[in-house]
Parts: sequence; structure tokens; C-alpha cells
Amino acid sequence: MGSDLDSSTSSDDPIHESPNSTSIDQSLDAIEDQLASIALTQPNGVAADDESSEQEVFKDTPNGLPLDEDSNQQESKGGEIGEEGFGNSVPEPSSVEFEVVEEVRESSSSGVFAWRRTNSELEVERQESPSSSGYAGERGSSSSTSVSEIEEVGEDQICEVGKDDSVDGGSDWVPGKRHLDEDDASVSWRKRKKHFFILSNSGKPIYSRYGDEHKLAGFSATLQAIISFVENGGDRVKLIRAGKHQVIFLVKGPIYLVCISCTEEPYESLRGQLELVYGQMIVILTKSVNRCFEKNSKFDMTPLLGGTDVVFSSLIHSFSWNPATFLHAYTCLPLAYATRQAAGAILQDVADSGVLFAILMCKHKVISLVGAQKASLHPDDMLLLSNFVMSSESFRTSESFSPICLPRYNPMAFLYAYVHYLDVDTYLMLLTTSSDAFFHLKDCRIRIEMVLLKSNVLSEVQKSMLDGGMRVEDLPVDPSPRSGYSSAHLGQPRLATDSPERFREAFVGIGGPAGLWNFIYRSIYLDQYVSSEFSSPISSSRQQKRLYRAYQKLYASMHEEGVGPHKTQFRRDENYVLLCWVTQDFELYAAFDPLADKALAIKTCNRVCQWVKDVENEIFLLGASPFSW
Amino acid sequence: MASRRRMLLKVIILGDSGVGKTSLMNQYVNRKFSNQYKATIGADFLTKEVQFEDRLFTLQIWDTAGQERFQSLGVAFYRGADCCVLVYDVNVMKSFDNLNNWREEFLIQASPSDPENFPFVVLGNKIDVDSGNSRVVSEKKARAWCASKGNIPYFETSAKEGFNVDAAFQCIAKNALKNEPEEEL
Repeated sequence: MGSDLDSSTSSDDPIHESPNSTSIDQSLDAIEDQLASIALTQPNGVAADDESSEQEVFKDTPNGLPLDEDSNQQESKGGEIGEEGFGNSVPEPSSVEFEVVEEVRESSSSGVFAWRRTNSELEVERQESPSSSGYAGERGSSSSTSVSEIEEVGEDQICEVGKDDSVDGGSDWVPGKRHLDEDDASVSWRKRKKHFFILSNSGKPIYSRYGDEHKLAGFSATLQAIISFVENGGDRVKLIRAGKHQVIFLVKGPIYLVCISCTEEPYESLRGQLELVYGQMIVILTKSVNRCFEKNSKFDMTPLLGGTDVVFSSLIHSFSWNPATFLHAYTCLPLAYATRQAAGAILQDVADSGVLFAILMCKHKVISLVGAQKASLHPDDMLLLSNFVMSSESFRTSESFSPICLPRYNPMAFLYAYVHYLDVDTYLMLLTTSSDAFFHLKDCRIRIEMVLLKSNVLSEVQKSMLDGGMRVEDLPVDPSPRSGYSSAHLGQPRLATDSPERFREAFVGIGGPAGLWNFIYRSIYLDQYVSSEFSSPISSSRQQKRLYRAYQKLYASMHEEGVGPHKTQFRRDENYVLLCWVTQDFELYAAFDPLADKALAIKTCNRVCQWVKDVENEIFLLGASPFSW
Repeated sequence: MASRRRMLLKVIILGDSGVGKTSLMNQYVNRKFSNQYKATIGADFLTKEVQFEDRLFTLQIWDTAGQERFQSLGVAFYRGADCCVLVYDVNVMKSFDNLNNWREEFLIQASPSDPENFPFVVLGNKIDVDSGNSRVVSEKKARAWCASKGNIPYFETSAKEGFNVDAAFQCIAKNALKNEPEEEL
């Protein structure tokens, strides 16, 4: 890692291995002092916010000291944010009748955030007007779904462990379009926490996450009217706040995308999600769909997207369980270095025979991937491609050859993807520019499959799926010396599984050492991340979603334009202690028990980084062409 | 994204203020009529499903405001329309005279690919008023104008009585089917 995060200045052990190590222990101590004085001088700053969140954000200022005046003010400002969501938006002057907010609320200041976490049981917001049209009509089929059936309602509720214990994100999720009977007059529709819409610039609906697009034609027209009205004034609407709801707009030529959300996710995150939804559309149709609108403004896109709403709904679902959607990085299936090398070698072999990209994946995790010379694959494209393949049932049943577009590679042109499932979760994708390469790619696949079987890669893959990834409980107490390191699985001597009872039991309900519950490590150079397996107490999918949302906010706050670069952030609320550490090489996001000790937490983060470094051969895809990745 | 191909038609309703555009919509979509006049602000949007020759159509109806001060939306509102309904009041000559302006305004703003054959429908509304005694635009005159503009289908309606309203909208679906475009990437 070359850098070290340490809480004690009188550190006994850390030997900084490289001269450019950025030890921040000094500043951390300084921060602690600062914080103490803040607490003294500004007792209301934190206390006013009954969520008792403790937060520090400091920039990497030359002297390593934060600006205490500022943080005081923002601290108290943060207290207000919790009270009222609307008060802290930063409205730009605008001639438009509705409020056009150019930036989200937090971005104006130096990035001190206040997390608003209300433990609201349910969001019951009754809208008075029955329809967007103003006609008190009977058109709404108004199937008033009962509250208990509504997804996402009450997601902030802390639910009992064991109620829904799915650990693998998305495994309990059934793909497909839901609630087709709903429209904008339905109470249930209005209560949904997060809507996504795609429409054309003539106001014709293309996709809606919930409800039937045609029944929502009036609503879709309203959205277009809002966007067009602002455009007419030479302006652009990015965000409208209405009470708890944010309406986020994204205009992509003749395609309009809108998200309506009361999930309190940051604007940047929601906008990023809209970008991905648009990207998914490009994957299916390419950007040349714009030409259809140029030729004919009446153009109706829905027939071209026929049958693909499962692709969109699966992508939208992944926003709440797949960190790749906000990290813009991909993750690998843990494998022994030699195993991954063997897979990479045969993929490289076929790549040399005119295949643009050869990608071997297991679910959403990469086993190996290889690109033709100088061709580079963006992590977002990988996300969208694998989502497209995994959500389309037809790929599973036979070998397929399908036109697809990689928006970051070339949004205007189709590539052709040969897709074949090698087992129930493992699939091979061979991408080419040639539309008649099917039989060549089929031959490639047969060769690849043979080699993978012979070298036991596929069985290793299945074994890894069963073993899982890094577990916080397995965090080595003493980082082992790098050389004398030999392990069965991710640096853990088999002890953990050989005598699991005594060892594991100690941690049931409390996560790993020092109250570590979960972490995500993102390598900047590799465009890859690794996250620890979820374990108790973050065991339900609802808790996982909440943690990802917290990470997502953390990510947004650390990557905000115009501020930072922040190096570390430590925050405590009633749900977690969150620690984020950003260096030139990596980003670490870690969640701890809300009562975790800060110094210990920092120490633990250092150990996590060391652990990741120790097992990087197994958890990352290394040694790919430096030009490409 | 339906598996069976349905058609969505964007229908724009234009005409002078007070001719009964909103009342026609309300009668058509909701089977309701109110004598009270409420000016439309900007535009109203509503949705109606119609069946025509075994095909299901969704009409996305843009009920616009007749007042001039709301005409600033122009292009944005008219873009991608599949059909334009021109409404006048048979009891107000000015509203009939203005049909030409509305039609031309629409063709300029929407700039459809084939303006000569763009599907319009003309509705002469309020034929019920005063049992027809206050009528100033004769059916003959209206039909003559429609014929001169490329045989625009013409209907005499009463939003209040619900007369001929359904027939008019059936015609809109029929027209759209004729012009159905086929698009390929």
C-alpha cells in the first residue's frame, strides 16, 4: 500500500516502506483535538441533531489541519439538515416557476455532510390531487395495494435479523415487471420510493419501473412539459425538490430520463443511476436510435425495446445491492493466482485470433478478461453488459450471438456478443466487430471450455463460489509478513473452517475485530474493488441496502466536484461508524459497530489494507495489459 | 414496453379559448360535463384507451390552453404529435375563422414530415346551445373549409350531451393507423 493510517503518533511498529508514504497520524491527532474543542465551544452543534452523529471531514491541507471555524458552522448547519430536508437546498436564481435547483444541498459547503437518517417506519404521503391531469377522473384502476405489499416502504425500519436473511444481494429478487395495473392515480404507485422513467422528447413513454407505460402516458407528457418548458427558457432543469421527493432529470438528445425518489440518496448518485439506465438503453439499441427521432419526431421506441424491461428492472434493482453501480469498478471472483492465470492465458489465445474482448464471468464477478491490443473496457460497460446477459433468460438456455453496444467503447456501433453459459452461473462472452463471426467464436468457445475443464478452472470457480470472499471475522490479527505467506483461502489458515465453532461464535452478532462489520476496497489503478462478505449483524438484504446507501453517500461526498480531495472521513451515527480513506492508490470504505472505538477502528482499517495487499493476487485480476486497464 | 404491439398516439387539441376543448376531453375520457368554465393553464394531459379494428390504442391527449399567453410552449408541445384536433364553437364566428391560424401554427411548430397529409380532425362544438338557434357557422360552411384543406374529417359535437364525441375519437385512431410508420434502426 505504501501508506499507513495510524491513530497513534508514538507508533511502535509502522515501518513506512516507501518514501512517499502518506502518514496522516499527525493530522488525525490534530483532528481529535479540534473535535474536542468543537464539542466544547459548540455544544448545540451536534446535540441539536438528535441523531447524535459525529462527523469529521478534513481536507488534505498543507498543514494537515482542518479549518475549525468552518467546521463549526457546518456542524450546526448539519444539525438543521436533519430537521427539514428542504431548507438546505441551494436554489439557483431561475426564471422558471418551479424551483430549479442546480446543485444538491450539500455541495455548497466544504463537504461536511449531515446524514439524515430518520427511523421512520413508513412513508405515508397522501397526495391530495388524484391525477396529474387535474381531471378527477375514474381512469385510475386504483388497485389500492395494501401497505404491507409495497416494496421499499419502510426500508429504514430496522428489521429483525432472520426476517429476510438473504446474504447474496439480489438472490431473492424475482426479475420482471411488477405492478402493471398501477398508474399515477394509484395510491400504491404514488407511495413507491423510487421511480425511473424513460420518455421521448415528444412526451411518449418508453419505460417506467412501476406501472404500465401506456397508462402513464399523461404523466409522461407532464414530465416532458416540465423539461421542455425550462428548455424553452434557455435553461436546463436538473433537480426539483418537493418535500421529501427529489425529481432528477437527465436529457440525452431526444431521450429524457427522470428519477423520482424519496430515498435521500445524493443527487450525484441518482444522476449516476440515470446515466446507467441510459447506458443500458444504448447497450440494446446504440445511440443511432437518435436518428430515428431526427427522421420522425413521432417515432415510438417501445417496439424496439420490446421484452427488455427485465433488463432495466434488474439494473435498477442492482442500484441497491451492487456497489459497482456507484464505485465505477468491477469485482473479481476470488481465485488462486495460477487458476486465474490459466483462464487468462486461454482467453488471450482467442483474443489474438480477432476477438475484441473475451470475458469470463461468474454472476457479476469477473474470473478473467482479456482485450485486443489497445482496446479497453470500461467498468460501467462491463456492468451493463453483464446485467444485460444475466437478466435475459434466453442467454441461459442456448449459445447466443447478439448485437450489443458498449456505450463507453463506441456508443454509435453495434458489436456482436457470443454468449455461452459454461455452468449455471459461469458464462463466457466473446465480443467481436464482425457480424458473421458466430462459427469462429463457437470454435473459440469450445477450445476455451476444453482448457478450462482440463485445468480445473470451472471447479475452482464453483469452489470459490461456495467458499465466498473475504470475511471480516477472518481479518488477520497480525498482518503476516508478506514473504512467509501461504494460505488455503484468502490468507486464512484453514483453522477458521476447521474449528469454526469456538472461533466464529465469539463474533456472532458483532462482526469482526474492533466491531468491523464490512468493508469495500477499491483499487484505483485496477478499476477493481473487493468487498467483504456480508455477515451478522448486516445480514438481511434490507440492512445491506441501507449500508450500501451509506457507502454511496460517503462515495458521493468524497468525490464531490469543487471540494476535496478529502483524504479521510470518520462519521458516527446510530447505525454505524463509517470510515473512508482515499489515497492515490485506493479507496477504503469500512463500516463498524456504532460503538466502535475510533483509534481501534483506524488501526483495523490499516490491517484491512494490509490484508487486501497480502491476498491481492487472489482477489484482483492483475497483470493485464497496462495499456488497457 | 408491451409484448403485443400497442400504439400510443399523441393527440393535440387546439382552438380558441372557451370553445370547449377541456369539456370535450372530460366528456370523452370521464363521461362528465360541467357548465362551469375553468380556463386551462398551460396544458392538461390525459390518457384514454381505444380499440379500433382489433388494435389497442392509447391516446395521450394534450389539452392545451386557448389563451395566447400560454402559447409559448410551441415546439415542445407539438413535437411528435400523431394527430391534431381543431375545435371551434359553432356559435362564435371568430373561433371558426381562427381555425386556419391554429392549423398553420401547428404545421409551423410541429413541422411534420408530410404536412399536406398530416391527420387533422375538426370539431364544431356546442351544437346543443339554444337548440341551435344561436348558431352562426353552418355545417356546410365548415365542411367546405375542411374539404379545401385536404378533406379533413369533420364532426359536429356537443360536449354537454356527449354527442358524436366517441365517433370523433374513433376517427383519430383510424387516421393514425393509416399513417403508421415502420422504423428500423
